[in-house]
Amino acid sequence: MNSRTVIPVTTGDAVVPTGHAAPRRTRRRARGARFALGLALPPLVWQLAFFIGPLLVLVAMTFWSVKMFRLTPDLALGNWTHLLSSSFFWDAYLYTFWVAALSAVLASVLALPVSYALARKVSPRLQRLAILLLIVTFFTSYPVRTYAWQIVFSPSGILNSLLALIGVEPILILNTTSATVVGFLTLTMPLVILIQTFAIASVDQRLIEAAYNLGCSHGRTLFTVLFPSARIGLILAGTFAFVLSFGDYISPALLGGSRPPTLSILLTDQVKSGNHWPRAAVVAVTMILTLLTVVLGMLALAYRKKGAAA
Amino acid sequence: MSRKYDSGALSLSRRQLLKAAGLTLGAAAAGFSPFTSAQSPHRTLNILSWPGHADPFAVAEFEKLHNCTVVAREYVGGEAMLGLINQAPPGMFDVVMADAEYVDMLRMGGFIDKLNPDDYPIADFFPEFQHFEGHWDGDDLYSVMLRFGYIGMAYRTDVFSPEEVTSYTALWSDKAKGRLGMFDWYLPTMGCLSLRQGNRPPFDIGGAQFDLLKKSLNSLAPQVSGFYSMSNLFSMLSNGTAAIIPGIGDWVVNLLQKDGVPVAAVVPEEGGLQWTESLSIVSSSRNKDLAKAFIQYMTSPEGQIRTARLPAYVASIPNRKGWELLNERHPEDARMLGLTLDGPNVMDDYAKGKIFLRKLPVQQEIDQWNDVWTAFKSA
Amino acid sequence: MNPAKPRPNLWLYGYVGVIFAFVFTPIITTVVFAFDVNRYPSLPMGGLTLDWFRQVLADASLSRGVRTSLSVALCSAVVATALGFAGAYVDYRYRFLGKNLYLALLTLPPLVPVVILGLAMLTFQSRIGLAGSVQGLIVGHIVLCAPFALALIRMRLASLDPDIEAAAWNLGATQLSTLRSVILPFCLPTILACLFLTAAVSFDEFMIAWFVGGTNETLPVRVLAMLQGQVSPRINAVGTLVFGLSIALVLISQLFNPGRRGRTQN
Repeated sequence: MNSRTVIPVTTGDAVVPTGHAAPRRTRRRARGARFALGLALPPLVWQLAFFIGPLLVLVAMTFWSVKMFRLTPDLALGNWTHLLSSSFFWDAYLYTFWVAALSAVLASVLALPVSYALARKVSPRLQRLAILLLIVTFFTSYPVRTYAWQIVFSPSGILNSLLALIGVEPILILNTTSATVVGFLTLTMPLVILIQTFAIASVDQRLIEAAYNLGCSHGRTLFTVLFPSARIGLILAGTFAFVLSFGDYISPALLGGSRPPTLSILLTDQVKSGNHWPRAAVVAVTMILTLLTVVLGMLALAYRKKGAAA
Repeated sequence: MSRKYDSGALSLSRRQLLKAAGLTLGAAAAGFSPFTSAQSPHRTLNILSWPGHADPFAVAEFEKLHNCTVVAREYVGGEAMLGLINQAPPGMFDVVMADAEYVDMLRMGGFIDKLNPDDYPIADFFPEFQHFEGHWDGDDLYSVMLRFGYIGMAYRTDVFSPEEVTSYTALWSDKAKGRLGMFDWYLPTMGCLSLRQGNRPPFDIGGAQFDLLKKSLNSLAPQVSGFYSMSNLFSMLSNGTAAIIPGIGDWVVNLLQKDGVPVAAVVPEEGGLQWTESLSIVSSSRNKDLAKAFIQYMTSPEGQIRTARLPAYVASIPNRKGWELLNERHPEDARMLGLTLDGPNVMDDYAKGKIFLRKLPVQQEIDQWNDVWTAFKSA
Repeated sequence: MNPAKPRPNLWLYGYVGVIFAFVFTPIITTVVFAFDVNRYPSLPMGGLTLDWFRQVLADASLSRGVRTSLSVALCSAVVATALGFAGAYVDYRYRFLGKNLYLALLTLPPLVPVVILGLAMLTFQSRIGLAGSVQGLIVGHIVLCAPFALALIRMRLASLDPDIEAAAWNLGATQLSTLRSVILPFCLPTILACLFLTAAVSFDEFMIAWFVGGTNETLPVRVLAMLQGQVSPRINAVGTLVFGLSIALVLISQLFNPGRRGRTQN
């Protein structure tokens, strides 16, 4: 496994030959501290200012009110009570959660054979080509790809034309959850395949050989040695897929027909229909809390106990 | 003094760097040429409008005349427009296109300037549109009418016959099951359903009628195929996913018909709505002279015949001289748009009293109607 | 290795082909229908035309979008890569109290849904007067892109022999000059790859740009507006052009990062 070798070195210690006086060491230490801070602070300050700051403002904004399209700082619980007591909010919440979970599981399961093949079966050249192709998809405008699915799935589109050729009834998939799931898979599959491939490829080859030496069959090795060893990466991939699907706006809106609406649609609706930033913020904060819980839970699951791998 | 650590990676990267620089420059040279604009604009006119109004089809002549570029920030739905203009820093927009019922809110919010009626060809408008509701505050003019259209139902002619769609009850029919499209904006759809309940005018209704409206809307839930953005209205009607959509009209249908899609629009017997788009000068604009020129151009016959045939969605126009010019230059289009001066035209529906102005809810807050719509989306 | 002779495994390869076909169907559809005459594309295709491409190249709003996208991408890439490098080096070299929190802060943004990031940045920036400006947009994209640079450079640094830096210090080099002449050259291929990668991420990002950009519309925002307002095969044409550009960017970035992916040893 590629392990991070962090050197616990602070300037001046291992480097200074013996016999030199303390002042030089402290000067070196001061310079060292400045150097370290000079590198460490800029990213930190940036993130605090432009990432944490906005999120904090978002949380504060959940308590503000909107009068006649104008935002006014306030300390009202109205937004929370309004949304948390609306059935449409909880409907959207549950729907978003289970569709995201379904997509994550589907993506992981569907991707696994591909990742296995790419990590262990194909030639290095083919592997690099495949990975390059997958990377390319990241930068091919996800909204445009969703629109392309609209074309494919339209009642007289490619899918139904092909089905007609083999005499099957046309499938009307647009504006259904299935179409939304297809959209989510389009969004997440390349990433899931890449992470899984990396994880499987990083499994120590000696473990596999040991299993064979001990008489395990091909299939048994797969499921009792290889996949558990790659568990962290596999869980990571699935979690990423969940996070991306949970927050996505495009697929539910363009392919699912906003029916039923997801939390992201609820959020943008609140913004578009009257500048209800506080209410949108409530939806956003709820989403963040949910995702945080899921991610932390998944990380705990992944790193819980190491199975056969070191 | 430090010795450079000489590794293979070092020399390799220098070579690669040069190669990259060459490639990048080459790509840039090749990639940039199609993207340089034909003219160097002296000024930019920023407008806040519905989609498609900065299309060169409409504004190219104006841009040439005034040596400027028209840039549009697009919105869908009056509330989105209000939201955008409320959060925009001063000077971001020069012209705002608002639906007539929102002009009052813009005025009360201090966003738009009072206009001088003599600056604009209002005298050339049809008499019905000269002192049009929403544009005036007493004798003060705040907005000039640009285009309008009617709202009823749009439907596919290969699914519904004209006799089947004479009433909004068609929305509940079996043929519409699973194929009822919804324009994702509460105002026009709820207005039509209110008309069906017999509320005339449809937006000024009391609590009891509002509850009935809520019930009526939610009863449509099993019929709905999806909630559509403006563009999805076109594509879903076109690919047949939606067979009937309330709350829209000719402005969607005419373009589809041009492309041979079997659709039609109808104003049912219970009545229809009129939407009106109007132009105002934003108070914080730094280009007010250019803004004024833009409004003058778009409401003059030259601008009118262009906006009537806008590629994004067509409309009827209030300027009578514009009608004349349209019939002179593009008689086919005038016929298709119902803007002919002899024979039946769009003003007839108006005269028959079937058309009601689309307005904002009177006895309820916008939020109440909007919340009903949000709940309906999850129904 | 495998005790039995490996079967040709046609099923597995066929399955891989099916999945790749799924992943690439929308892209191929986009490219194919960019040439369709019909405005509302469906099968059978109406006929071939280059009109949509012509319209796209002549569309002032799209060329404006491209210019905005390119300038935002360029600025974001440079700053994001710099910040990512700093963070990666700090992670590589130092151990300190709160380091995990520090790293979490630096790598969290991609985990937050872009709708939320966009909304948060919009509300924050409108309070400090940045909203609707190109600078605000660049700031937002840097937040999103820096973690990618950090991750990539961190992986590269992981394969740097730790003794080399210590050797340089032992020979009397200062920390700064060691950074300049040892670490940086070693990371240079990855840094260049990061520049392209972060530029590509910024170029393709649409949600934050939609919330924060105001009238400065990047290309994806323009496409999103078209998707919601005025759909036509122009979108396919834009998609095809963007696809071509993305392939070019990724291929260029790959020139600088051979062997980064796909090998177990590095």
